[in-house]
Amino acid sequence: MIDIDGLSRRYGGAISALDDVTLHVGRGEFVFLTGPSGAGKSTLLRILIGQEVPTSGRVVVDGKDLSALKPADIQRYRRTVGFVFQDFKLVPRKTVFENVMFALRILGVPDVQQRRKTFQVLKWVGLQHRATAYPIELSGGEQQRVAIARALVNEPVLVLADEPTGNLDPDLAIEIMDLFRDMNAGGTTVLVATHDRELIRRVGRRTVALDHGRIARPA
Amino acid sequence: MIGGLTYFVDEGWTSFWRGRGASILSLLTIAIAVFVLGLLLIVGGHARRTIDQWSRSAELSVYLADGATPDERSAVERALRAEPAVIGIDVVSKAQALARFRRDFPDLAPATAQAPDNPFPASFEVRLGASSASGAALDRLAARLATMPGVADVRFDRRWLDRLVSLGEFVRWVGFGLTAILVLAAALTVTNVVRLSMHARRDEIEIMTLVGAPMAFIRGPFVCEGMIQGGLGAVLALGALYAGMALAAPHLSAMAAGLFDLGAIRFLSWTAMAGLVAGAMAVGCLGGLVAAWRTARPR
Ligand SMILES: Nc1ncnc2c1ncn2[C@@H]1O[C@H](COP(=O)(O)OP(=O)(O)O)[C@@H](O)[C@H]1O
Ligand SMILES: [Mg+2]
Repeated sequence: MIDIDGLSRRYGGAISALDDVTLHVGRGEFVFLTGPSGAGKSTLLRILIGQEVPTSGRVVVDGKDLSALKPADIQRYRRTVGFVFQDFKLVPRKTVFENVMFALRILGVPDVQQRRKTFQVLKWVGLQHRATAYPIELSGGEQQRVAIARALVNEPVLVLADEPTGNLDPDLAIEIMDLFRDMNAGGTTVLVATHDRELIRRVGRRTVALDHGRIARPA
Repeated sequence: MIGGLTYFVDEGWTSFWRGRGASILSLLTIAIAVFVLGLLLIVGGHARRTIDQWSRSAELSVYLADGATPDERSAVERALRAEPAVIGIDVVSKAQALARFRRDFPDLAPATAQAPDNPFPASFEVRLGASSASGAALDRLAARLATMPGVADVRFDRRWLDRLVSLGEFVRWVGFGLTAILVLAAALTVTNVVRLSMHARRDEIEIMTLVGAPMAFIRGPFVCEGMIQGGLGAVLALGALYAGMALAAPHLSAMAAGLFDLGAIRFLSWTAMAGLVAGAMAVGCLGGLVAAWRTARPR
């Protein structure tokens, strides 16, 4: 699913956020990306969602070479992948329902189907009763569940998450991880970046550690 | 497709309304540009119609000396008929000239009665085709007539009419130049105002971009916002023009009664109004496009 070969990303001259990273994630895998703050986790994920381009190396996701994508292709690619961020990134002036449905709307899915699927996925994250609420009316854990619902509603082959539990307390973090485990059980490939070793220990999945932009412990 | 369009318009309107403080600014700059252009079209149209009317009335008058012989008269008439621009000749005798003067100026009529003999010359009043030949040919004709025996004087209206026309042309080009500058200023203002409202919604734009929304989907509402600013600005300008004309018309015609028929000033045609609104929307669209293209990018 993800094939990264000799990936480097330098900012300016000296700073090397990623240095010769090679990593393979198979279809249907659940992988944690870990390492201390500043290790390069976010940089790697930004490259994987096409926000940044590698300085050198090759990144292929689901058969698509990301460095070769034109702007319109980047948007098309993003529609096939789900993203979850530490700060949730929900649109404040849209309701929970609208936030989730938006991901289907841009796919051109028929209206009735948009509503049905949105409702289904909200039910799956346990928030069907908050459908008409606005993000600001929700707790952090609830907001993140909405974001996960949005990431999953268009049935992506791959879900990427950058510190999805970074703003949540440990019990909520486990609940959120259960959602990722659940989607992975349904066949979705999952890559979660987190510096929280305790969480990783409790979930117990394949872990790739980064340190100063290098793979510290190849798996 | 229709769904997408209403989405753009809805979102564009929302964005316009949220940023209405700044939107007023771009709306006004557009309104000023449309107002100036509209005024130019109204005044220009009126001037053109007035000048056409003047051109159609007698323009070339050849006054004959009292002692002109019949041969001299017919030589002058032949010279006139040879000119293709001449479409009609009225022969005015001394008696007719006197009668006309008494009719037009009844107050002065008694004075003419005291004159020993009729002081008014006989003349040829010549009508020229509205789209008649070059002014230069007519100038030559007028000069030649003036030197012919039996001719006392030649009055050629077309000369100052031509000057009026070229003055009008000059004013028109200055006006269009001014309009071009105003349109540019309006487009830049729209661009900046739309950028401002995109800045206010940068988080939302970032989220939509990350979720993979097509760029047209993200930019469309802001292009629409620019078009709304343009369209409303034009409507505002047309309203102001109409109200201004309704208020000013009575004063103007009182001021210049007789000289110009200002009561006959016509407002813009529906086609011209539609054109102005469409043009302003196009300018707004352009401003919105520039802002949207620069501000919303996939990475
Ligand atoms: N836009 C940037 N400009 C310069 N340096 C950056 C930029 N983004 C990240 N870095 C640097 O790259 C390194 C890796 O950062 P990051 O990927 O955010 O690490 P992590 O997510 O593991 O904490 C850090 O040293 C950071 O300062
Ligand atoms: Mg990070």
